[in-house]
Amino acid sequence: MEGKGIDTKSIQEIGWLKLDNAAKLFPAIMSSELTAVFRITATLKEPVKFSAIKEAVEITSGRFPYFSVSLGSGLFWYYLEYNHQFPRIQTEEKISCTAFAVKRKNEPLYRILIKENRVSVEFIHILTDGSGAFEYFKSLLYTYFRLTGITIRSSEGIILPDSPIANGEMEDGYNRFFRRKIPPPGKLTKAWHLPFNLNEKPRLRIIRSEISLDKLLDAARGHKVTVTEYVASVYMFSLQKFYLEEKKDMKRQKRGVLRIEVPVNLRKKFPSKTMRNFSLFVMPEIDLRLGVYTFEEILKIVHHQLQAGTDVKQITRFLSQNVSHEKSPFVRVLPLFIKRMAISAVYKRLGSNQCSGIMTNLGAVNLPAEMEDHIDSFEVVPTPPNTHVKISCAMVTFRNKMRLNFCSISQSTGLEKHFLKHFTDSGIHVKVLNNK
Amino acid sequence: MNFCTYCGIELDIDVIICPLCGKTIGKEHSAELTDQTGHYPSDIILLYRKETRKHIWELTGIIAFSAIAVCSIVDLVISRSLSWSLFADTSVLAAWICLTLILLAFKKYYIIIPGLLITILTELFLLDLFSGQADWFYGIGLPITIALFVFISIITLLWKVALFKGFNILAFAFLVLSGFCIVAEVFIDKFLFNTIDIRWSAIVAVSILPIALVLLFVHYRMKKGKRLDSYFHV
Repeated sequence: MEGKGIDTKSIQEIGWLKLDNAAKLFPAIMSSELTAVFRITATLKEPVKFSAIKEAVEITSGRFPYFSVSLGSGLFWYYLEYNHQFPRIQTEEKISCTAFAVKRKNEPLYRILIKENRVSVEFIHILTDGSGAFEYFKSLLYTYFRLTGITIRSSEGIILPDSPIANGEMEDGYNRFFRRKIPPPGKLTKAWHLPFNLNEKPRLRIIRSEISLDKLLDAARGHKVTVTEYVASVYMFSLQKFYLEEKKDMKRQKRGVLRIEVPVNLRKKFPSKTMRNFSLFVMPEIDLRLGVYTFEEILKIVHHQLQAGTDVKQITRFLSQNVSHEKSPFVRVLPLFIKRMAISAVYKRLGSNQCSGIMTNLGAVNLPAEMEDHIDSFEVVPTPPNTHVKISCAMVTFRNKMRLNFCSISQSTGLEKHFLKHFTDSGIHVKVLNNK
Repeated sequence: MNFCTYCGIELDIDVIICPLCGKTIGKEHSAELTDQTGHYPSDIILLYRKETRKHIWELTGIIAFSAIAVCSIVDLVISRSLSWSLFADTSVLAAWICLTLILLAFKKYYIIIPGLLITILTELFLLDLFSGQADWFYGIGLPITIALFVFISIITLLWKVALFKGFNILAFAFLVLSGFCIVAEVFIDKFLFNTIDIRWSAIVAVSILPIALVLLFVHYRMKKGKRLDSYFHV
């Protein structure tokens, strides 16, 4: 199937792009609260220089023209229309991940936020996923540091602003690696959800924490699991605590499955250079109707389920199922307004019910030493969770620190407290940070 | 070095106004007032909504004036004079002016409510004038419209000042509605029979009163009841 879907023309020549398979969901379900916007922040060691960042944004955005698009609505599908626009450079406000005015003509779908020492990019998921956004961000920081007079000798792992655009950078990876006629995965049961009340609007609240990587690595290696598996297990263990607390108060619980969505970067599984969405979820789960699990049991289950779930054949199965929906001739000819209603209804009934939590790990950020010397930390704010999941978290590692941020719309901070307390109880140093 | 004390970023030495927050460099940020459009991500959403309202206003303007032109020309062609089209034209024009007030003076109730009152009274006066016989404007149209607007203003004011918008607002709306019914019956009776005999409005008032009392009880005695927006959301 390789070769299918690779772009041979530039966005300037084509003028528009189809939404990738993952992006098709978002326009139908987005709202002022469920914004589908995520943020990546770098805290520098010195205040941001406005003129340099402005120039860096213009240079870098010119290298990533497929991000200079706005959302258009056709008769049958939404699409991305090339708009020649640079992203807006704005100042941070109290609420993160504010919605984009996606229906506004020529409105960019990503923005740069600066305040004091912090530079952030906020992308709407229609455009790209965390990995694609990070590639842009690294390139932006590289250009910024160069413009401020810093000499960077090596540029390994960074897309340089003057480098040519590679074939396949704006391809739809899902479409390229989709395979017909393979059996679909089984249907998922509905998952249990945290019984917390929601915050008043605007609901979003962020809890930021910094975790010592050395101790965390020691703990994970001690159990022969990866950091992602370890943190996912802590998440699952914390969810179980609240499930059991709820069980004391209720005679009968309707659902007993705890399931966490863990996004997988498919660029590591398939040979794609795409800068657009190319990730899928693996969903480790435990069924508490079978009994209460110890942390070690959860670690074992999460480890094996994540290993099995990231197998290429298994991923291809989920990928193909997702793509097959949009390939169906019946779905394709439905007018957009009907599709929108149908997607929204299906998401409300099924999609948002299938998991109890969402956890993203963007991994370790590796930059040239000269750049790292001028950066204090990186952090990620995940997309605001839906009203079932209520709390999601995202982590990123830079040097010897891991930043773990919780994005919550619930009144309770119990899950976050239990989550972080588990680390401190295991001898892993945790610092909860101010919300600036 | 040149710094914006609000954003905490470094600016070029010759920059006087911070391009991010729009505030003058070197002044206390609270003292400076500038146009904030576009400085924060949420400003763009507000800008988009404003633009959308303007587009709707322009589109409805085209439709309204086309309708007026069509009605007038058809009337002129068929009856060689402006007869029935005067009613249609006046109504369409009044509706468009009302829409203009709602869209362009968005949420500025102190402009919208008096503006709507003047528009509707003018429309009713013109309709009465065109009909030429009934002379109902001063008898019914004027007093009932003014009473209606007084009651709408009371509800709007309550809505604006209420800290908790629950069943209490609904209860007060019912009470105000019963008051409006009594006023309406007074003027209708006076216009039609030249006497005042309060009957149906009294029945409406006593029927509404227990409902309002139950709603007030639910709101003030039973843990503030429910929020209207959550209770009635579709």
